[in-house]
Amino acid sequence: MKKIFIAILLFASVQAGFAQVDRSTYPEPAPAREIQLGDADSFTLENGLKVFVVKNDKLPRVAFSLVLERDPILEGDKAGMLGMIGEMLKGGTSNRTKDQLDEEIDFIGASINAGSTSIFASSLKKHQDKALDLMTDILYNPIFPEEELDKLKKQNLTGLAASKDEPNAIVSRLNSILNFGDNHPYGENETETTIKNIEVEDIKAYYETYFRPNIAYLAIVGDIDKAEAEKLANTYFAKWEKKEVPSKSYDKPSAPENNVIALVDRAASVQSVVNVTYPLEMSLSHPDYLTTRVLNYILGGGSSSRLFMNLREDKGYTYGAYSSIGADKVMATFRATANVKQTATDSAITEIIYEIKNLRDNGVTAEELEAAKANLSGSFGRSLESPSTIANFAINTERYGLSDDFYSTYLQKLSALTVEDINKAAKDYLKPENAYITVVGNGNEIAESLMAFGEVQKFDNMGQPERTIAIDGDIDAESVIQNYLEAIGGADKAKEIKTSKMESVAEIQGMKLGMSYIYDEQNQAFSNKVSMMGNVASHTLIKDGKATVTAMGQSQELTDEQYEAAKMSMFIFPELHYEMMGYSLELDGIREIEGEQAFKMVVSNPTGATTINYYSVDSGLKLKSESAETGEMFFSDYEEVEGIKYPMMMILKSPMIPMPLEAKVEKVAFNVTISEDDLK
Amino acid sequence: MRKLSLSLVLSAILAISAHAQTKIEFKEVTLDNGLHVVMHKDNSTPIVAVSVLYHVGSKNENPERTGFAHFFEHLLFEGTENIGRGEYMNKIQSIGGTLNAFTSNDITYYYEVVPSNQLETALYMESERMLHPKIDQVGVDTQREVIKEEKRQSYDNRPYGTILPETMKRAFQKHPYQWPVIGSMEHLDLAQLQEFMDFHKSYYVPNNAVLTIAGDIEYDQAEEWARAYFEEIPKGPESFYRPDVKEPKKSEEIRDIIYDNIQIPAIVQSYNLPPKSHKDSYALSMLSTYLTGGNSSLMTKELVDNQQKALAVAAIPLDLEDGGVFLMYSIANMGIEPADLEGEIDNLISKVQEEGVNERDFQKLQNIIENNLVSKNSSMAGIAQNLSQAKVFFGDTNYINEELSKYREVKREDLQRVAKEYLTLDGRVVLYYLPKSAETTE
Repeated sequence: MKKIFIAILLFASVQAGFAQVDRSTYPEPAPAREIQLGDADSFTLENGLKVFVVKNDKLPRVAFSLVLERDPILEGDKAGMLGMIGEMLKGGTSNRTKDQLDEEIDFIGASINAGSTSIFASSLKKHQDKALDLMTDILYNPIFPEEELDKLKKQNLTGLAASKDEPNAIVSRLNSILNFGDNHPYGENETETTIKNIEVEDIKAYYETYFRPNIAYLAIVGDIDKAEAEKLANTYFAKWEKKEVPSKSYDKPSAPENNVIALVDRAASVQSVVNVTYPLEMSLSHPDYLTTRVLNYILGGGSSSRLFMNLREDKGYTYGAYSSIGADKVMATFRATANVKQTATDSAITEIIYEIKNLRDNGVTAEELEAAKANLSGSFGRSLESPSTIANFAINTERYGLSDDFYSTYLQKLSALTVEDINKAAKDYLKPENAYITVVGNGNEIAESLMAFGEVQKFDNMGQPERTIAIDGDIDAESVIQNYLEAIGGADKAKEIKTSKMESVAEIQGMKLGMSYIYDEQNQAFSNKVSMMGNVASHTLIKDGKATVTAMGQSQELTDEQYEAAKMSMFIFPELHYEMMGYSLELDGIREIEGEQAFKMVVSNPTGATTINYYSVDSGLKLKSESAETGEMFFSDYEEVEGIKYPMMMILKSPMIPMPLEAKVEKVAFNVTISEDDLK
Repeated sequence: MRKLSLSLVLSAILAISAHAQTKIEFKEVTLDNGLHVVMHKDNSTPIVAVSVLYHVGSKNENPERTGFAHFFEHLLFEGTENIGRGEYMNKIQSIGGTLNAFTSNDITYYYEVVPSNQLETALYMESERMLHPKIDQVGVDTQREVIKEEKRQSYDNRPYGTILPETMKRAFQKHPYQWPVIGSMEHLDLAQLQEFMDFHKSYYVPNNAVLTIAGDIEYDQAEEWARAYFEEIPKGPESFYRPDVKEPKKSEEIRDIIYDNIQIPAIVQSYNLPPKSHKDSYALSMLSTYLTGGNSSLMTKELVDNQQKALAVAAIPLDLEDGGVFLMYSIANMGIEPADLEGEIDNLISKVQEEGVNERDFQKLQNIIENNLVSKNSSMAGIAQNLSQAKVFFGDTNYINEELSKYREVKREDLQRVAKEYLTLDGRVVLYYLPKSAETTE
């Protein structure tokens, strides 16, 4: 590498230039350079594929991006399928295994991504043919291997589990369900069940239907001219077969009649995620598209907006407060959002609503409008730095049926907007009284303060309503317990059982997990072993007035408090012992457990630790038990064993294990002899 | 007004590169007050990026007052003697610009991208906050609250959000890299206004900064304005406190469990790295690409695709001026014990240490690096940042054009060597992120 340094003496004029600057005012801008909008070349192949080419040889790179224009799809009981299409496309072709594809893509330093409506490839110019070869192999010859789908399902299930703890994921799920309802492509959400329902055939059918050139646009951008692009397009994309693609339509949701306040209680939260949202009609081709851009910029479009200035710079409630007005050809949403200090949750909502209302009622100032125009023009100008912008403009114009001069007159149209235009849009589109106010935060700390905004509706972390039903006046905790004991065969019969051995088996990732339980109530002893492939993975033992937990080769004796908590699980039928142990019972309404109505019973031991049991309203049987220590245990498949009804299926959901553990009872015996060895 | 020295030179560098890396032309000059000015001209779009890099980060802080550099990132948007409170962001945005800033362990970086006819305004504004920012109690009190929420949003309330601070705290027993950039909220509560003023005087001065102007400019005009607005700013102290602490080599693995609000366990392994400008940095960066960069990388292929024990795995060389960490994290797949996954990760590391990297894979790494470096300088904002960091971290602005050749000097055997030398099991930090068996869920 060669370096030539040229020393240049400074010119005297430079010295004169800085003699004095006036710091009291901003410098006058120089005359603005006109923003030049380059043109995209375009042509259409015989199969209907529309191709756009933008040449920019600043860097020796080329990008090919293929996008499909179709109506949104309601996935129903297969929700999550669309999210897997891209990875499935890259899961192997009739020419290359997935390993070969991955290797060949990486080898040329390229990137190739696929989604349910796109395939994108980019590489250095010198590798463009190879990149196209790989891209079109994925497009024409995917084989959708079963094992790839199994892997993706597993990853999606893991991701879904993780998202249940992520405040932003929780709030966006809730927003989508409230705004669009479950039965709309934008409102449905994937669940464990819908992910498990997805089959290779579904993916294939989707691919066959929608990956068609007649609904596709291809942008070729970078170090390439039209002639070369045309040659490549013909070589690689002319053989793609066209086919009619179905269209779909959906009902348009409307904003709620009054504000709805929705809370997801996330006990671990140290701040609250607050959103104000509602559905609205807005798209690129809508006559109010530009006015709503300006309107949103002033309300919450950036760090000079009213929301940001009020909630962050004035009040210090948050790191940032923003709003957005979407654009979508089916249906868009309005959304204002901030992650705020817990103690300021209600104040933050008040301020957000205030800002929306104030803007609607009192409009914008001329100064704000000018600043917004300048900023949006600037951002338009900056976007042109990237050559793909021009290609996107050309594609959008076709895709959304925009007028041919939509982008070339964008800046003029923006500059012509008046205060009255924006104020009218504010009245038409801002709905501070017809919004969903969604909050994810610590319910204990904030629920009460939220009541100021109306009745607080509670939702779970999947966006489903939490349901509580009032209880009949003459039912109390005692009678629920009596009903339960009656249902399993009677208290007397249950009391006769003093010892028990139970073994159950669960399967996790193809591995067998054995769980054995030994109860010796006369000696107040209990043992629970979990073993994996013959090895004991964990052992909880209660005897001689203490409890130890052994796991991963380490033993730990529990503290007195933990011991008291552990004792709550050492009885075969704990309900028989509540009174004797000095536990207090509190009946807390009716909840739905796996679709069945159940009495919720809070059982507290003398040290304050609680277990919550749920007993079926219909059958009286115990459906679920949960505690901080052990997580949630669901009981089902009750069968009679020696005259007592016993649940043969126990499903454990615990924060300590990533997926529900389905334990099937294989052996259960009552009043058997318990030896010393059993309790080791 | 101070007099100009005629001895200043502009240097135009015409480096010729044999590789695909597109050469970035630039001119640079050091003003009398020590401010280094770098300019890059590209008239294709009428925009210009203006940035000031201050060579101060969390490592320069007093251990009793951590979080100051980041606090300043916020404070310097509050206003100056001539620019009113709250006006800074408004002004830049209302002339059609965008702006932001970030703070790292080593530097604080402020930038704006504005229409090119507004270059003078951007320079005026950056010079204002270097010359006389307005630091008052209202600003301090507000930003203190904002930063507390930033911390909650970015770390405390975010699943796995504490990985970096928890790792650094253990990876550095002596070096100031041990405390997080966002600092201690207690320290910020205790800090008096005067302390903030003093901190500014010590670091936010021309001779500790690089001003970069990249975009639709004419060199003469840009330099003239840079001089007009910055030359009068008094030079700061002759020297700056830069911690001269060498982190002692660990002799034992540090292993801990962090209970977080998560459902899926994660494993973090971190190994201390040599200083950023050390020649092994290139081999370590290639090693990280070999391990987890791309779907065909060793660990992604084996752990995510084949064994399916991990949902994701990533190796990130967090290279810092005084030596950062090689951070590896992986998120376990459903039902996989962290210990099981960790064992497999360690097996793969041992494999590289024993067998090295084969010729084809080495060629692949070179191709990936070439592609990444070409793409690195695709925007004016990116070029401005890369130019100023080249000057500050490598002492030579033209490093921006030499990076690829530095990578080309790495030999295949170097990857195996650095894997052995730096990824040592007895000097690492291992953290298990496990779910908090907390509140009952209803």
